[in-house]
Amino acid sequence: MELKEIKCPHCGHVNPPGTQLCQSCGLMINEDYDKNKIKDVMRYDGSAVRSKVKSQSIFDKIWIFFTSIRNGVIIIALIAIAASIGTILPQQYFIPIGVDPETYYSDNYGTFGLIYYKFGFHNLYSSWWFVLLNAMLALSIIAASVDRGVPLYKSLKNQRAKKHPSFFKRQRITLNSETADSEDVNKIIDGLKSKRYKLTEEGPHLLFEKGRLSRWGPYINHTGLIIILIGSMLRFFPGMYIDEILYVPEGETVEVPTTDNKYYIKNEKFILDTYEKDSGSVFDKSLAMQGDLASNYQTNITFYENLSSDVVGSEPDLKEIDTDEIRVNHPFKFENYDIYQSSFDNSSMKSMTFKLVDKNDKQVGEEFTVDLKDPESTYEIDEQTNIELRAYAPDFQEIGERGELISQSPVARNPAFVFQVNNDSLTTPEISLLQIQNTDEITPNNEYKVKFVSMENQIATVLTLKKDLTMHLIAVGFIIFLIGVFIGSYINHRRIWINKENGLSLAAHTNKNYYGLKKELNSVLNENGFDFVNDKDEAEHDDRMKG
Amino acid sequence: MQHTFLQISNTSIFIAFILLLIALVPLALSIRSKHEERNSKIAVGIVIVAFILELVYFAFRWAATGHAPVSNLFEFIAMFSIMLIAGYLITYVYYKTKVFGLFAIPISLILLGYGSIFSTDVAPLIPALQSNWLFIHVTTVTLSYGILSMSAVAGFIYLLKIIPADEKSLRARMLEFLMWNIVVVFAFIISISVMRGIGYQNDFLYVDQTGNNAIAEYHLPSLINYNDAQAVNHLGDNQYEAADHFNLGISLPPIIKAHSLNTVVWSIILGTVLYGILRLGFRRRLYTVVKPLAKSADLNLMDDIGYRSVIIGYPLFALGGLFFAAIWAQEAWSRFWGWDPKETWAFITFMFYTIFLHLRLNIGYEGEKSAWLAVIGFLIILFNMIAINLIVAGLHSYA
Repeated sequence: MELKEIKCPHCGHVNPPGTQLCQSCGLMINEDYDKNKIKDVMRYDGSAVRSKVKSQSIFDKIWIFFTSIRNGVIIIALIAIAASIGTILPQQYFIPIGVDPETYYSDNYGTFGLIYYKFGFHNLYSSWWFVLLNAMLALSIIAASVDRGVPLYKSLKNQRAKKHPSFFKRQRITLNSETADSEDVNKIIDGLKSKRYKLTEEGPHLLFEKGRLSRWGPYINHTGLIIILIGSMLRFFPGMYIDEILYVPEGETVEVPTTDNKYYIKNEKFILDTYEKDSGSVFDKSLAMQGDLASNYQTNITFYENLSSDVVGSEPDLKEIDTDEIRVNHPFKFENYDIYQSSFDNSSMKSMTFKLVDKNDKQVGEEFTVDLKDPESTYEIDEQTNIELRAYAPDFQEIGERGELISQSPVARNPAFVFQVNNDSLTTPEISLLQIQNTDEITPNNEYKVKFVSMENQIATVLTLKKDLTMHLIAVGFIIFLIGVFIGSYINHRRIWINKENGLSLAAHTNKNYYGLKKELNSVLNENGFDFVNDKDEAEHDDRMKG
Repeated sequence: MQHTFLQISNTSIFIAFILLLIALVPLALSIRSKHEERNSKIAVGIVIVAFILELVYFAFRWAATGHAPVSNLFEFIAMFSIMLIAGYLITYVYYKTKVFGLFAIPISLILLGYGSIFSTDVAPLIPALQSNWLFIHVTTVTLSYGILSMSAVAGFIYLLKIIPADEKSLRARMLEFLMWNIVVVFAFIISISVMRGIGYQNDFLYVDQTGNNAIAEYHLPSLINYNDAQAVNHLGDNQYEAADHFNLGISLPPIIKAHSLNTVVWSIILGTVLYGILRLGFRRRLYTVVKPLAKSADLNLMDDIGYRSVIIGYPLFALGGLFFAAIWAQEAWSRFWGWDPKETWAFITFMFYTIFLHLRLNIGYEGEKSAWLAVIGFLIILFNMIAINLIVAGLHSYA
């Protein structure tokens, strides 16, 4: 079909292709326009909607696909359905760390779990197709907004007060009074002005308008949504998003990662408080039903700046700049970073204390304490005796080929020691291997024995270091979205056309809430002795009810 | 002092429950009797008093515990139930709809009954919940739920009125299916209350998802249980001995809360039996039994209420359920969005009402189609509030 400009048979104005109502006088000039697609032709009166123009190029076809509200709704529904599938089984980030996901899903959920895993539903929200669906939604929002926003802008800008009589007849709200004189009409004009309507006059033709902003509500909220979608994509740009774990044993100072050696944090003390049971409070009953309930997780920190961070390879020169108590819901903030209380770890040990006993189980000399992080090589326990630490593994796994101790990790979870006892009375030193709950003599028939006395646990706090520069953009997008929804929902765009050539001819339109428009109009009309307006829909409704 | 506050609070909500039940009588009378005006005034008067008592419950429970009473499943559901009454009263102020209360109040009562199945004891806050956002987030979400529910009530009345009693069609069957659901919920609340009342309790020892031993309390005979669960008896003070309880033997991994699922299965069985009895008693479909209540409803008005509650409830939900929720999640869990099941279902709820608005405003889904959507929206809200908490164990498992 060839696209033709349409000349209005009534006023002669030449309209662009696809126009439904004449831009100039409001006559319906394109009768075969598909009425099912836009229920309310008044929405873009006097403007052509690109996607509604029957047209052929591939670009136009893609454009039409994405401008369609129906397709937009389908995309939204697909996203919602996909999202729900992701909640059937836990996502991978909820399963225990370090477990093979395939084994985990098939062991715990059988065949269904395996299928779920094979389809990639265990990482659904970052899967390519879920991201693609969201990109399609963004495209749909943009296309639909541009497609409708441009003609809307034109139609609102080009409004004429003069409208064809058929335009009046088509409106839902009308009033005709041939007996009205100009004085009455002027009173109505004043009445409407006092309701804060903006008046445009063209001879005997008047247009009253207010709340035009309402029409832009959907465009504003869609802009907000696009900002949110852009914001969530920004996360993948380097430097925008940082998520690190800080493991800090009590009393230790560590570098804050990703800050180029500039900041250091010290865990002064980790505090875990629980609620007191049987304290006579209203909570006694529920507390008695369960184990200890945590009331507070807290890390007291000192925050340092490294003054020599720009000198490569130099020793850190720390200057204290802040102290804080990091608790759940109360992160510590610096620059664009936040440090959160995440969890704690008390599975490692700080130190172990031993004593030396002779054959009769009598203690020799003083007890000695081995710092598991930084053990000494000899411990002097009295004037004739010292104990040498020949070998040490913080997390003992096995004895190596050359007799050394092999450690699984540097964390003191399962320490093992080789002690050598040197005493003036011994001809040869005695050597033994000590593990938790086990002692092996390496030299035979030892006189002395090293015995475990006590240990001190090392408590470490686990903090989360977060930097998210996308967050503020997303928040702004959301606020714009909400403002758009409010404007679109609670402001009404009301227009009233008056032709005072022959008495009074009035028509009114609103984008929503006809009830409110009628109420407002009737109060103005009533004060000036006119009848109530006619409402086509109400007449139809009454007919239906009677029938 | 705190103990007294708690007592006042508990008494208030109990009286409120009774009053709401009583208010249904004049409300039902106001639909057909001669003293229409007087009866409806009495009914609304009683509802207002009940609502004030519910606010007293809220204020005093807060005073007793020092935190907003929205921190566990009971408190959250009670809050939703209160907000339903708030939604009803707001609707009444604007539209003076009497018939509305006949549907809104029973839903509120059912919810309150359902909520009290869970522990109603006050509990102190775990660290993650110690935030002012607890109150802000939960009240906006429940208020938006309350308002969105009004849309479903309007939709339900619309459907009751417009679908003829003798029609043999898909829509009539769907409406009847909805009635079956309501009966199932009833059966659920009644059976669990009765079984608890007579002290039926079977404990099972199982290993939970974190690898710790835990005890599941079964108040209905066990059809579905945890993998390798062992029947035990509670001896007090965290002491248990092996016992012999009925167990049909279907077993599930601990990520699914088998004892909740067991209750759901029982409710469906008992609800279907109850439904069958009712069908036999009335000798017609159940929706036709309640249909007369919707007789005087104005369809256009119901459609309008249905739409307006959505345009008020939708932005409110976006604000409380997504925006405030995200701010708090950022503060407590260091990420504003994490696709936790509860978050995901809030997102789905939001998407659903987005679809509702687009279909209505752009494609012309008004009247019956809109009414169906409103009812489905309510089911999604219930699903997020109840099923997700009961069956899936996530970050939000406290409420």
